[in-house]
Amino acid sequence: MTVSASTPVLELRQVSVSFDGFWALNDLNLSLAPGELRAVIGPNGAGKTTFLDVITGKVRPTKGDVVFRGRSLLGIAEHRIARLGIGRKFQTPRVYQNLTPRRNLELAVKGSHAPFSLLFGRLDSRQRDRVQQLLAVVGLEAHASQRAGSLSHGQKQWLEIAMLLAQDPDVLLVDEPVAGLSEEETERTGALLRSLAGDHTVLVIEHDMDFIRELDCPVTVLHEGHVLCEGPMEAVQSDPRVIEVYLGVEDSGVEDDA
Amino acid sequence: MAKWRTWLPWLLLVAAGLILPAILPPFRLNLLGRFLSLGIVALGIDLIWGFTGMLSLGQGIFFALGGYAVGMHLQLLALPPGELPEFFGLYGVKALPAFWQPFHSPLFTALCIWVLPALVAGLLGYLVFRNRIKGVYFSILTQAALLVFFNFFNGQQKLINGTNGLKTDTARIFGELVGSDSMQRNLFWLTLVLVVAAWALCRWLTRGRFGDALIAIRDDEPRLRFTGYNPTAYKTLVFAIAGAMAGVSGALYTVQSGIVSPQYMAVPFSIEMVIWVAVGGRGTLIGAVLGAVLINYAKSLVSEQLPETWLFIQGGLFLLVVTALPDGLVGWWRQGGPRQIQAMVGWPPLAPTYPGLDLDPAVQAEREALGSTPGGAP
Repeated sequence: MTVSASTPVLELRQVSVSFDGFWALNDLNLSLAPGELRAVIGPNGAGKTTFLDVITGKVRPTKGDVVFRGRSLLGIAEHRIARLGIGRKFQTPRVYQNLTPRRNLELAVKGSHAPFSLLFGRLDSRQRDRVQQLLAVVGLEAHASQRAGSLSHGQKQWLEIAMLLAQDPDVLLVDEPVAGLSEEETERTGALLRSLAGDHTVLVIEHDMDFIRELDCPVTVLHEGHVLCEGPMEAVQSDPRVIEVYLGVEDSGVEDDA
Repeated sequence: MAKWRTWLPWLLLVAAGLILPAILPPFRLNLLGRFLSLGIVALGIDLIWGFTGMLSLGQGIFFALGGYAVGMHLQLLALPPGELPEFFGLYGVKALPAFWQPFHSPLFTALCIWVLPALVAGLLGYLVFRNRIKGVYFSILTQAALLVFFNFFNGQQKLINGTNGLKTDTARIFGELVGSDSMQRNLFWLTLVLVVAAWALCRWLTRGRFGDALIAIRDDEPRLRFTGYNPTAYKTLVFAIAGAMAGVSGALYTVQSGIVSPQYMAVPFSIEMVIWVAVGGRGTLIGAVLGAVLINYAKSLVSEQLPETWLFIQGGLFLLVVTALPDGLVGWWRQGGPRQIQAMVGWPPLAPTYPGLDLDPAVQAEREALGSTPGGAP
């Protein structure tokens, strides 16, 4: 299938997910253009993580379809979706604690992931260069040979971002990349993500409004499993519906935190 | 210095291989050979449990399959042409069951010892792993499979002599009795060579990126999936390899014990295998072999003196490891255990007083970059 520049690279069509009658996602429509940087915000329980689970194949939608480059992702195993070019960074940094950062990256680096190619094959010079380069990008060169478990929280966050980059996916799904990072680290992460957009399609989920503002990109607001509104940060911030769900102006003010 | 350290263990090993048969009485040597062969099944358990995080309580299945393969071959080997193994007469069996026929061939038997358990393990593993059964459920399932095999083998008098098992020590290989002292010495050497080979195989499997992938499966399997790996393939492969090692181990154990019986598939025996690895040290490889040999030797020594106490000692040992030495003896040694003992007896070893600076790689890199030592360092 030919994909022109205007066709979305990733599209969610009327996706609904029900967990025993609770609708975590409810008729969600969202599309990402190639090379786009998009931020997704929403109060707790808005379905942000389920939304990533649906794209990456962890959760199968009850209704609707997920289309990547004109191809439905429904029923495809997680590792195949990852190989198609969708990478994910988790909310809490998930790196392999007992391996060194270098070995973490060597596992993630793009190439064959079949058992026999790991046993008999070796990393080629391009892959080794990539690992070295990524260690430099995230400032872990000096820590390349110590256990990843002994890294600080911020270093783990960055190691996981580096692992995501090593996979070289077309679409990067980044869940809370700056949680627990210092101001300077946050700034550098923002710059890194902005520099990735263009060549890659990047979707960032974040709570930190300053960080979102810094990204300077279109924002999608999720609420109770569907898209509440979309647009630039300024417009979204002044939207009365957004203010309502975040501050709970209208009724009881009880935070929805399922 | 470095060379000396690499060669020393191998020198000691060769020396032990040459000296022990000369100084140990045949009975003790035979025991050592048997326990060393158990080291191979323990290595397999270390591979699947210590590295990949799959606690199998059913390794006895594959161990016994290897044992039965060699047992059947030796039964047939001892016969004049046209006769049946003796036990068939007890149950009125007149013709050799068809599945015994290929075991006339030594080559087929040699393959069967490890290929058959690998296939059974691979098939069982694939079905379990494909359905993403993990953790406790996997352990229970393997134990249930073990019980199924145990009961089946116990009931098959007409096929494999049921509960009584197959004797091997009256057979002759190259005109020599399997149970004879000189044959047992050869088997000891064979076992020693195969233990080293099994260790080398595991080492090769675990030291590169493949081993990293196994550790990643143990520590965070879903994460590995989202990186584009299919853990099922890895787990099936490694479970089959552990099955093959269990088969070789069972075959060696059988020829040195003189019998193979369904008792090899008894539930406690497979749990003991796991204890050897836990005591020796998970994820250390050498710990699995040490654990198997040390515990079994201790068991035989204690049982000779105080037959009733061994189970208590074994239980206590397991509790000690779980509570005080989670990484086993080898893990304790590698993490500076001897230094703690040294400190306890009032002779503390030297330690850097400011480890944060002396051992931090970032600080060291910076120091090199600056080309001078920071002031105030200890």
